[in-house]
Amino acid sequence: MLKYFVKRVVGIIPILIIVSVLIFLFVHMIPGDPARLVAGPDASYQDIELVREQLGLNESLPSQYFSFVGNIFQGDLGTSLKTKRPVFDELATRFMPTFWLSVWSMAWAVLIGLLIGVISATNRNNWKDYLGMFGAVSGISLPSFWLGLMLIQLFSVKLGWFPTGGLDSWKSYVLPSLTLGAGVAAVIARFTRSSLMDILKEDYVRTGRAKGLRERKIVWDHSLKNALIPVVTMTGLQFGFLLGGSIVIETVFSWPGLGRLLIDSVSFRDYPVIQACMLLFALEFILINLVVDLLYGVMNPQIKYE
Amino acid sequence: MLKKSYQLLLLVVLAFSLVLAGCSSNSTSSNGGKDSDSDGKLKEAEEQPLAKKEGNSITVGVADNFISMDPHDTNDTLSYSAQKSMLEGLVGFDKDMNVIPVLAEDYEASDNAKEFTFKLREGVTFHDGTPFNAEAVKVNVDRLADPDNNLKRHSLFSLVDKTEVVDEYTVKVSLKEPFGAMINNFAHPAAMMISPKALEEYGKDVARNPVGTGPYKFSEWEPGDHLSVEKNEDYWQDGLPKLDGITFKPVPENGSRVAMLQTGEADYIYPVPTEQANEIQGKDGIVIESDPSIIVRYMSMNTNKEPFNDLKVRQAINYAINKEAFVKVVMQGFGSELDSVIAPNTQFYSKQDPYKYDIEKAKQLLKEAGYENGFEATIWGSNNSSTMKGMEFLQQQLSQVGIKLDVEPMESGTMSDKIWSVENPEDAEIELYYGGWSPSTGDADWGIRPLLGGESFPPQSYNTAYYKNDKADKLINDALQTADPDVREKAYADVQKILWEDAPWAFLAVTNTMGGKKNYLEGVYLLPDGSLSVQEAEIKQ
Repeated sequence: MLKYFVKRVVGIIPILIIVSVLIFLFVHMIPGDPARLVAGPDASYQDIELVREQLGLNESLPSQYFSFVGNIFQGDLGTSLKTKRPVFDELATRFMPTFWLSVWSMAWAVLIGLLIGVISATNRNNWKDYLGMFGAVSGISLPSFWLGLMLIQLFSVKLGWFPTGGLDSWKSYVLPSLTLGAGVAAVIARFTRSSLMDILKEDYVRTGRAKGLRERKIVWDHSLKNALIPVVTMTGLQFGFLLGGSIVIETVFSWPGLGRLLIDSVSFRDYPVIQACMLLFALEFILINLVVDLLYGVMNPQIKYE
Repeated sequence: MLKKSYQLLLLVVLAFSLVLAGCSSNSTSSNGGKDSDSDGKLKEAEEQPLAKKEGNSITVGVADNFISMDPHDTNDTLSYSAQKSMLEGLVGFDKDMNVIPVLAEDYEASDNAKEFTFKLREGVTFHDGTPFNAEAVKVNVDRLADPDNNLKRHSLFSLVDKTEVVDEYTVKVSLKEPFGAMINNFAHPAAMMISPKALEEYGKDVARNPVGTGPYKFSEWEPGDHLSVEKNEDYWQDGLPKLDGITFKPVPENGSRVAMLQTGEADYIYPVPTEQANEIQGKDGIVIESDPSIIVRYMSMNTNKEPFNDLKVRQAINYAINKEAFVKVVMQGFGSELDSVIAPNTQFYSKQDPYKYDIEKAKQLLKEAGYENGFEATIWGSNNSSTMKGMEFLQQQLSQVGIKLDVEPMESGTMSDKIWSVENPEDAEIELYYGGWSPSTGDADWGIRPLLGGESFPPQSYNTAYYKNDKADKLINDALQTADPDVREKAYADVQKILWEDAPWAFLAVTNTMGGKKNYLEGVYLLPDGSLSVQEAEIKQ
């Protein structure tokens, strides 16, 4: 187990190196000239050339890459071209709002998703199932920006319960996390339903029923845990996506998170910030995958790590 | 059985969507029946009781994040809007973009437009207690004039040769060569004064720690979330400031920004989306304010390329476009027809004879030019929805005279590559370009030279028409050799006439500024350059 863990952690390094090359190439290949954007609309040609030189953008790509990676190893993510603040600070102030929003969205998505999934699976093809799955289909198909604006109209403008956006108190989390969690809850519900239905067809479930166990015990104690493995995998992936920050949700709710930072940086061609954001997202996914893999063992002790 | 379940699902979906349609009818009805009366004018705000307001601070909802609080190193109007609550310049702009004294009581320019002397206001101190005097002005102007500081606004002050302290409250700025529009550069927010002590203490971090002389002091800035300023008790102007503080919040989504104003979370928002302006006007104590800006909309035509090298073709295109319909359709009526290369609020504007919408005349001119059956061309522009709407409108209009436009929207980075990485005018692929321009110094020079001056071809500047007229260039240049307003006015009147008749652009429209406020708020307004003025803000109860 420990050996496996160490092996996985060490394995992160080559992945990150490959990812960093890809990110670097991708960022520098999108058309657009950061020097012109930094210098601004009324800058003269000479000013732009000066900026290009100062930003090191006239050096060759490989040398730019090595200085980028070299700086990372010294713990320096560079300086934002747009705000001239250290990229680390830019990311740090934006990370926590996105993190907590992801946690809240995930918390209630898991709660509601599991509940709907279980109810649907155990009430197969009756009205409870239809209602649950209708909710799930809606959750997936409603465009989140529309849902967000509707929630704002209803709960902020009409009822005045929650703020329209920004991050001031716990109240600020309610609407964005509902909007963001809706899609995730729907996916979890559907996964739980199909996975649990399969398990409920297993022989040991029939045996349990035969020996007179209560249905509730069969579902919650004996089946659900086994049914959860694909759900956990999928939930982990979803959490990874959430941690990247939702551009749509963060725009609708004026959320000071990573999604908006990324989109702002892309349109400004703020290379250092884009690179750092994407590296961070890659790292998040790798870590989540690791945690998910370890969770398998907790849920099913028969799974062995080698 | 499956079939049955689908039927049920369909039914529920239908029921649900009906409910939702009911909810949303409120916010979308303007696309429906009401269009008939949207002749573009803003609905008269009915008498409504003053909305309720607690406390003596306000929140302003804006569309984007602030980038910097260092005016010398800022090139977005939005950052200036926040800066202007804290910092002030020697001179500034009033509501109509006239230059007015602020920290300078008086100023004069030498006849050759090379020396500018400012008499400073006495008894003003920066927020950190540093006295405001000639020495402080020198530090600021020197900072702007030094290219090694790599400031975004260096270009406005690159002509400065030296700045001298004449006495404690008199300062003289000398230029390397005459520049008649210099006083407008000083009125530009780029020339706002920062405390010399703060400059020394924070270095380039002054961008996050602005210290000025304005009615409000910097309080805090959470990037992406909010920026707040608080009352400066020792402000030099009597009776100001009237509020305890102001919080600026970036709210990028139009619908959310409007909702903030509706709920009262914001007391002022801008821009108000033109589509929703009439919808929210007069409800919840909301008042919409829409005034002419100095931002012009045009379509440039590459005068180096066939068929646009033919004056008749260019004029035909101007006749073929219904400008009134353009304002109505593309700008929801919140704008006006452009009747020169610069907007009426720009200094030295002179009105020209409009190209009246006349399809027959356009066809006739095309025939004379040998394009009786029209031709095909490509129009470039950015990929936001309002620009695309504008380009599609032009496509429709020009199709009436047989000109087939291919609309090519581009993401900003791509566009800057395609237009501004072209070194030789002959290599330029550009044909038509749908653009907008705000001459941020408010002077005719900055509204004309970068766009149509002979030395402004890309990649140097913004002359996407590749237009060069020696006579116009000479006039533009002459107008900069003097600070005498009468001489300059005459020169620019001639330039505008030449440009208008030569038609390197299809002249389209002047946009309006769009602000929305609660009716208890007074003294907050948008300037024609699109920046916000909050210095005189007060709450009426």
